[in-house]
Amino acid sequence: MYKGPFVCTGCALLCDDIAAEIQDNRIIRVDTACRKGVSRIKGCSSPMSCMVNGKAVDIDTAIKEAAMILKSSKHPLIFGHGNCTLETQKKTIELARKIYAHIDDTSSFCQGPLIEAILNEKLPTCTLEEVRHKADVVIFWGADPSNSHPRHLSMYSYFPRGKERQRGWEEDRTAITIDIRKSDTAALCGDKFYEIPINGDSEFINALFSALSNKVPKTSFNMDPKKILELANILKKSDFGVIFAGLGMVYSLDSLEPLLRLINKLNETSKFYLIPMVGQYNMRGFDHTLFKETGYINRVYFGREKIEHGPQHSIIELINNNVVDAALIIGSDPLASLPGEIAKKLANVPLITIDPCNNLTSQRSKVTISSALSGVECAGTAIRMDGVEVTLKQIIETDRFSDEQIIKQIMGKI
Amino acid sequence: MGFGQFLTEPEFKFIIVTHRDIFQNISQEISRFGNEYAERSSVITLDKDDMKKMGLKAGDTVVAKNTSARVVLKVESSVYEKPHPGIAFMINGPWANALVPADTGGTGVPRFKKIEVTLSRSKTEKVTPLNDLI
Ligand code: SF4
Repeated sequence: MYKGPFVCTGCALLCDDIAAEIQDNRIIRVDTACRKGVSRIKGCSSPMSCMVNGKAVDIDTAIKEAAMILKSSKHPLIFGHGNCTLETQKKTIELARKIYAHIDDTSSFCQGPLIEAILNEKLPTCTLEEVRHKADVVIFWGADPSNSHPRHLSMYSYFPRGKERQRGWEEDRTAITIDIRKSDTAALCGDKFYEIPINGDSEFINALFSALSNKVPKTSFNMDPKKILELANILKKSDFGVIFAGLGMVYSLDSLEPLLRLINKLNETSKFYLIPMVGQYNMRGFDHTLFKETGYINRVYFGREKIEHGPQHSIIELINNNVVDAALIIGSDPLASLPGEIAKKLANVPLITIDPCNNLTSQRSKVTISSALSGVECAGTAIRMDGVEVTLKQIIETDRFSDEQIIKQIMGKI
Repeated sequence: MGFGQFLTEPEFKFIIVTHRDIFQNISQEISRFGNEYAERSSVITLDKDDMKKMGLKAGDTVVAKNTSARVVLKVESSVYEKPHPGIAFMINGPWANALVPADTGGTGVPRFKKIEVTLSRSKTEKVTPLNDLI
């Protein structure tokens, strides 16, 4: 029997039009989702089980052991949250307060600065629905949604016929890619691909700024000034422009100052917005939740006397400086995503992993606690890459606890 | 034992740029331990002329080295029309991450997308298995 619509949690686009065929409480077919989404919704081939020191245990034992490790730790870290619901994130923050822990997420080494600037109202932003209905210029900057967010272009940014963009991509929209390589998305943009050298973003911004100010743009990498002037013209004439900022841009800029300057300049003549290309489905949700509670989006230490924040409380520096003596990892696989040397160090700390699937971190954990897959086996809410809250529905039944229930139980035992 | 065994392969300087790939993403959703995930994540894509210079063909292995790690990777030839000498591409994953330096100058943000390495041809070694990376 077909059911839906459901929400896919494969990426922070949170597509909400998913249909699934269900037979005997099993998902046998998924429609509308991209291939990545289908794999997410159908579930992984190696589900995680509850273990303590490599031995299979029941969930109560695993929870008790996790509580013991956290209770006896002097400097615990709670990390992950990107694949957790808002409800779970609230609970992990509460737990961090209770045990005087460090808390951080992947935004600490990816889209954090952009989300922070948006929440502090330094960067203008808009919703993906506005993009669909209004945007006439879309810029993929250091981003390749064709690979990272496969339905981005078809659902919102390029192909749809929006209310004010009835002629769609053929006539009504211009797509531009600025990147260091001709990605699949860049290939779609034809001659509107601007190839820049590694770390050339800030120089390119300066050149574009000159062109927007009617000066001849110069670059040390000899990009044809005519091409940059042509781009400036397209941007000036735009009614509703959006920059989709990817990791390529974030990692290349030492500070956001050039980007803020550019956006302000663009907004002198037209309307321009920025949306960060958030990866994990609810990483932005964690940043919003922590921001609401502490005024910071990540890298927080709930000390006994006061809340501290800064790069010294980032997961990278905490591990580099051997601060952490136990870590709870939830909805993330840091051993796969951190630099190798840091991953090795983290693997030597007593680890607790809460996740539906086995991953590199769970393999090296002292305690693993198997949880329900959010958006499939349990419901909740999450925040999409553009800041819009989305409700996740449950598709099938499970006897696994949700992340939220597990955190609540751990707290009960501390 | 041949004499050639004691000759060291010349080393070439490269910058590795990482990116995402939908097919690796799919295999990651299915299992981090699957062959497909490993195969896609351990490939390094090189410029055709660089490959010629190093005497490499597609499918050969290279040793990628820096102060952070030493990783054996499989070589593929670039499909980009424009030459990119000295720049190699890898899909983001544990193999590329092994080579990312831990030192961030106190900023907390490692250089994930611009990894400096030396590459040398490897005659006998197999691609580093996932379990040896961490
Ligand atoms: S684009 Fe993202 S949210 Fe949409 S179906 Fe694909 S993985 Fe799921």
